[in-house]
Amino acid sequence: MKNKYIVILSTVLTAITLCSCVNDLDIKPINPQVTQTFDQDKVFAKVYASWALTGQEGPAGNSDIDNPDEGRFGLYRCLWNCNELSTDEAICSWGDAEVLDLNPNNWTAMNQALEALYARLAVTITISNHFLEETDGITDDKTVKQRAEVRFLRALAYYYMLDMFGNVPFSTHIGTEAPPQIQRADLFKWLISELKDSEGDMYEPRTQPYYRVDKAANWLLMARLYLNAEVYTGTAKWDSAAYYAKEVIDSPYGLAENFRHLFMADNAGAIDGSTVNTAQKENIFPIAADGTHTQTWGNSMFLIGSTHESDMGVWGTNQGWAGNRARPELIKKFFPNPTSGTFITRDTDMTKVVIPVSWKDDRALFFRKNRTLTITTIGKFKEGYSTIKFSNLRADGKPTHDIQYIDMDVPFMRTAEAYLTYAEAVLRGASPKEGYSALAAVNALRTRAHSGKQAVAITLSDVEDFNTGSFNIINEWAREFFFEGRRRTDLIRFGMFGGNTNYQWQWKHGVQSGENFPDYYNLFPLPAADLNANSNLRQNPGY
Amino acid sequence: MDAANNEPIIGASILEKGTSNGTLTNYNGEFTLKVSPNAVIVIKYVGYKPQEISVAGNKNIVVKLEEDVVALGEVVAIGYGTVKKTDATGSITAIKPDAMNKGQVTNAQDMLLGKIAGVNITTGGGTPGTGATIRIRGGSSLNASNDPLIVIDGLPIDNNGIKGVANQLSTINPNDIESFTVLKDASATAIYGSRASNGVIIITTKKGSKTGKPTVNYEGNVSLNTLAKKIEVLNGDEFRELVNQVYSGTGQTDIDARNALGTENTDWQKEIYRNAFSTDHNINVTGSFKETPYRFSTGYTHQDGIIKTSYFERYTIAGHLSPTFLNDRLKININAKGMFAKNRFADGGVVGAALTMDPTQPVKTDDPEFQRFGGYWQWYEKNTDGSFKGTNTNAVKNPVALLNQKNDVSHANDFIGNIEADYKFNFLPELHAHLNMGMESSYGKQDLQIDSTATSDYPYGRWGWDKINKSNKMLNFYLQYAKELDKHSFDLMGGYEWQHFYRDGENEYRGLRIIDSNADGVIDENDDYYNHITPNESRWATESYLVSFFGRLNYSFDGKYLLTTTLRDDGSSRFAAGNRWALFPSVALAWKISEENFLKEKNTFSDLKLRLGYGVTGQQDISQGDYPYLPVYTISKETATYQFDSTYYYTARPDAYNEKIKWESTTTWNAGLDVGILNNRITGSFDYYFRKTTNLINVVSVPALTNFRNKVISNIGSLQNNGIEFTFNAKPIATKNCTWDLSFNVTHNLNKITKLTTGSQEGYYVPTGGIFQGNVQAHAVGHPSYSFYVFKQRYDANGKPIESGAPKPDGSGNYTDLDAFVNMNNDTIINENDKYFYKSANPEYTFGFSTKVIYKNFDFGINLRANIGNYVYNAVAAERLNVGVTGIYTLGYLSNKPKSAVERGFQGTSPNTYLSDYFVENGSFLRCDNITIGYSFKNLFHAISSARIYAAIQNPFLISGYSGLDPEVFGGIDNNIYPRPLTTLLGLSIIF
Repeated sequence: MKNKYIVILSTVLTAITLCSCVNDLDIKPINPQVTQTFDQDKVFAKVYASWALTGQEGPAGNSDIDNPDEGRFGLYRCLWNCNELSTDEAICSWGDAEVLDLNPNNWTAMNQALEALYARLAVTITISNHFLEETDGITDDKTVKQRAEVRFLRALAYYYMLDMFGNVPFSTHIGTEAPPQIQRADLFKWLISELKDSEGDMYEPRTQPYYRVDKAANWLLMARLYLNAEVYTGTAKWDSAAYYAKEVIDSPYGLAENFRHLFMADNAGAIDGSTVNTAQKENIFPIAADGTHTQTWGNSMFLIGSTHESDMGVWGTNQGWAGNRARPELIKKFFPNPTSGTFITRDTDMTKVVIPVSWKDDRALFFRKNRTLTITTIGKFKEGYSTIKFSNLRADGKPTHDIQYIDMDVPFMRTAEAYLTYAEAVLRGASPKEGYSALAAVNALRTRAHSGKQAVAITLSDVEDFNTGSFNIINEWAREFFFEGRRRTDLIRFGMFGGNTNYQWQWKHGVQSGENFPDYYNLFPLPAADLNANSNLRQNPGY
Repeated sequence: MDAANNEPIIGASILEKGTSNGTLTNYNGEFTLKVSPNAVIVIKYVGYKPQEISVAGNKNIVVKLEEDVVALGEVVAIGYGTVKKTDATGSITAIKPDAMNKGQVTNAQDMLLGKIAGVNITTGGGTPGTGATIRIRGGSSLNASNDPLIVIDGLPIDNNGIKGVANQLSTINPNDIESFTVLKDASATAIYGSRASNGVIIITTKKGSKTGKPTVNYEGNVSLNTLAKKIEVLNGDEFRELVNQVYSGTGQTDIDARNALGTENTDWQKEIYRNAFSTDHNINVTGSFKETPYRFSTGYTHQDGIIKTSYFERYTIAGHLSPTFLNDRLKININAKGMFAKNRFADGGVVGAALTMDPTQPVKTDDPEFQRFGGYWQWYEKNTDGSFKGTNTNAVKNPVALLNQKNDVSHANDFIGNIEADYKFNFLPELHAHLNMGMESSYGKQDLQIDSTATSDYPYGRWGWDKINKSNKMLNFYLQYAKELDKHSFDLMGGYEWQHFYRDGENEYRGLRIIDSNADGVIDENDDYYNHITPNESRWATESYLVSFFGRLNYSFDGKYLLTTTLRDDGSSRFAAGNRWALFPSVALAWKISEENFLKEKNTFSDLKLRLGYGVTGQQDISQGDYPYLPVYTISKETATYQFDSTYYYTARPDAYNEKIKWESTTTWNAGLDVGILNNRITGSFDYYFRKTTNLINVVSVPALTNFRNKVISNIGSLQNNGIEFTFNAKPIATKNCTWDLSFNVTHNLNKITKLTTGSQEGYYVPTGGIFQGNVQAHAVGHPSYSFYVFKQRYDANGKPIESGAPKPDGSGNYTDLDAFVNMNNDTIINENDKYFYKSANPEYTFGFSTKVIYKNFDFGINLRANIGNYVYNAVAAERLNVGVTGIYTLGYLSNKPKSAVERGFQGTSPNTYLSDYFVENGSFLRCDNITIGYSFKNLFHAISSARIYAAIQNPFLISGYSGLDPEVFGGIDNNIYPRPLTTLLGLSIIF
């Protein structure tokens, strides 16, 4: 008998000792999907990927931020919506809440595209801060280069914070304290010094692995900052803008021979196995997309999908979402009188229509079959001409990776910007470098576009005359860069966005003939979510 | 029968003394037993004094059992032990499931619907085998789990369900359940500490009895499920009229829209719903083998869903043995329960697709263009000549095709088992050692097969599987010492518990090979499957541990004054070392006033007890994974790599974490009064409670740049619940031929957030309740959690809501947001500052009512339930409000609309319209859960000792002013849910 419960008791005690231990509470993640160690190359790749992808699964799944729809609120897509739908270039037919606010320049601090853009830029900055903290003090050549690029990418994210939101939280390290708010002009100063400081460690132009950034990217961002310095700080810096733009123009980068190559599936040229596409030499910072390896709903997929509908021929993917199309003012920058006379003879690609020679331009990639120029109802996609600028077709005609997901990289920063930056800076008073004129810079782009008319005279924003060759730079920005996600910044610099301007576009401020909206809209509001969470922040005036 | 009220006692055991010859009483309290002429029979029933009767000369024996005065009523399970119900100090409700008055019971919680004050159960709609959300006293958390802890036979189970089974309680066959005990206040639950903030439901399963001869019981039913209500959408003719009217212009969009119309009149809802049959069969055997009582049971359930193709099928087996050793000093309980379930799920989008799909199109067609879709009519992109160009990936999909072309079937099995040993020490009989070791192990696999003709995955198709393994282990051990000294009675218990929760899973999905991925010019087995996700990439695993020490002291003086105090120290691996451990104390006092001499003599009250309790409980089930405090990197999948030159690099994302995350804790005060009069023929209890939760866990926006994500799990503030509960039970009639029972309960709960620490400024709120266009709910100080936070709609002279952007009737332009919504802060714009807090999804009052009448052989029962003051955002209506040009023909397809949307005439011009209080509706309702009628036979055949046949109607009516389908929606946002069917049921139970 005694033995029996000795056995029982020992069993009990053994059971307790074996499987129960307070030390069990010290766990390490057993999930093979995660790791606890810092992998420098993988985190470095993530800093780049945060511009391209929306999460860790692709095309959607395990999103980098919390929001209602991962792909709909990707970084580039939100950036694009904010900078294009608010302008004379693009309008969207969808009923999505963020779009309904942006089309008529009537957004609030609750706009989900603004909230997501801000959150994604902040995440990019934070991952960059993390990378820089983890690699602090490491001086091998690889790390030095990586650190310089991460500093650039962080600066680029801060640049968009500055351009769009103005007075934003600022931090270069990660801490739990809510960061202070920096004033726009101070952020500008920091950006300039940060870019100058990191430039030396970056690759010389075009010596780096493709898709990574080099000194030319640094110069181009400097040029962009200086071009807008008056808006950002109140003090113009035209000379500096021209200087850095010229650095880019004189670098080994050049212009793609065919404008359309820039927006095609093989626009990484040799990297994409294409011997035809020449875009690689113009792409200073392409955001990568790949139909099998880098899948997203957020960037080039959005550009291509949102601008196409089924009646538009073949564009290399089965995605056609019939949303974004041109406002008439954009068409008129190529075709001052697009509905008159001999112009209406063919009905597909407008570059192929019989048009006056002076209107000819490779960049006029529009589609107008069964479309009207004028937009009576915002919700009707076929009111307004469509654009065929972006496609998932290859210049060499070979098949792409996928029938759905996109190979086309977003040409996020490209050399052409330096030409127009240079031209505008010179027109605004910078002294020409080595005798290179504003007209020459503009004509470099017009030549590449096989424009029927070279510019004979170039002004900032005077009325254009296609017959005499008198063009202006604000329209040239649209002709070269329409639907590339930058229009709002250009209009603000020209005083043609918020406030009392004499420039109208259809449905500006929600009125078909266009009406002015207050100038406080020149800055977006800080999203309500962060204003709510960070008591250091004061909302931008007006909101 | 009961000596006090002459009510039959069902299931009392009758044993011929000194033999193993025995039986049980039937539904009418009757029994037949063949015995030797001079036998003595022993009649026993829990809570009653056993009786011995000599049968000599008696043919018909009427036995009246008297309630065991010492034990008055049953013993109720509490944490780590039991207590006599009358000695309970906390707010505890114990119920035995009503074997007669019930409808279709598939899962355990179906038996609790409306039965217990303060327990609110919302079933997940009409999906066969669906789960339910259980809330006890309103829920104490925001984002962390609000689910109560469920303890089955002493084994606390894990709230993470089983893959492919909607309901974590599916494992138990409801017919095996002996009783439920719901612990509501902290003085009762604190012994479970870390997992008990939302109450505890203790389920005790049926055990064997020492009757010797096996008793076999069969219980089964068949039922017919039908659709109770449809949403009124336009029919084909009406839709053609609407499209022709909205798109009457000459523009291309107008032409395209009109050309897209078909000629049919298809009722898509009719096409997806059906009348569905279900059956349920259970057999159990109870008896004893030598001196060891046993019970074995098996059950089979098959339910067809009212949405075509969906079904739920389940087999359960359960066994229980309770041997005793060492002269009854060592008692062993062995429980094992197994479940095998098979589920076929209907595509989740099919309910919505049936509302949206164009009613002018046919279900199937002979048109050759559609043969690529298996003949189903679908929207597709056309070439200029009308031929097929590609699928329209945006378009609503043919709901019938969605059902037939997608085969989504899960197979799951689950095992729960435990061994309990209770040892009474020889040298000190007052001392018990109790050991309970248990485990739960489950495996679920969901196989998906989408035809290559389905538009969603045309032309590759998609097939694959996803599986999850779960393995939880638990051990607890306690020592209990009970002693009575004169008028003092002590019961001291101390113990230790260890729990380990482990899950892992993996999946594989792929489409057909159609792409020449290795570019060798042929598509063959050397090419990749389309969009192939391999198990290698998808494998995941997670685990957590809980370690606890606990103790309890029960003390009573003179049988009148009771004290219970408990203390638990819990450690959770989900928190960093510094925040890991937390202490959860409780104390409760009770005064049995009815035992005082001044009342005892008068005999007015058979029971009168006052209870006061206080306790603290914790929460660590934070719904954000097992490692919220650890910095980790997530490695990307192959489809999310990034390229430098021609090399694709996997990326590592630093994930957000909060090393300061700590226990959420809830403090509860409870005061209660139990009353019983007329020898407990009328009983009632009344409770007031106040619960305050601090360090609330929620996922909230954190200041940008402070973490790797915009929203991070944080301890964000405090909330409180206070409420009253009232329960009333009565037996108005208790005669030999007729008994009438009724019970009624009402709960009033008020929930309010009292502090939010993440934002300091005025007007701070935490947005929640995300819909397709923003958030409609928010948490804010001074308001109930999940309050609706919306714009206040303005109405025109005719009482119609004004839509921003719609043309004014006088032609003077369009209405603006300022016309449509009340400008709360009287500034010049409508923005987020003009939202206001308007009602909440939580009901203010919930009512449950059930009654049962037994007259001779007939029985009749009814269960009713009501919620008052619960509001619902009608997302089904809001999402479909746009009947203008941007709402009907978009992205190359037509969307049908509800009739109500057409009458409202909104154009979808302002995003704020979706956030209007117009769509927040009062969801108060009265629902009849079931009506049951039964008839019992006695001695039907020789082999059958008793039988009952019954019929029931489940969900026969719902009274509500809500304009949607069903206002009983957990969380207060009504998206498409699988409609709850109207069920007609015929059942039979037999005791052999």
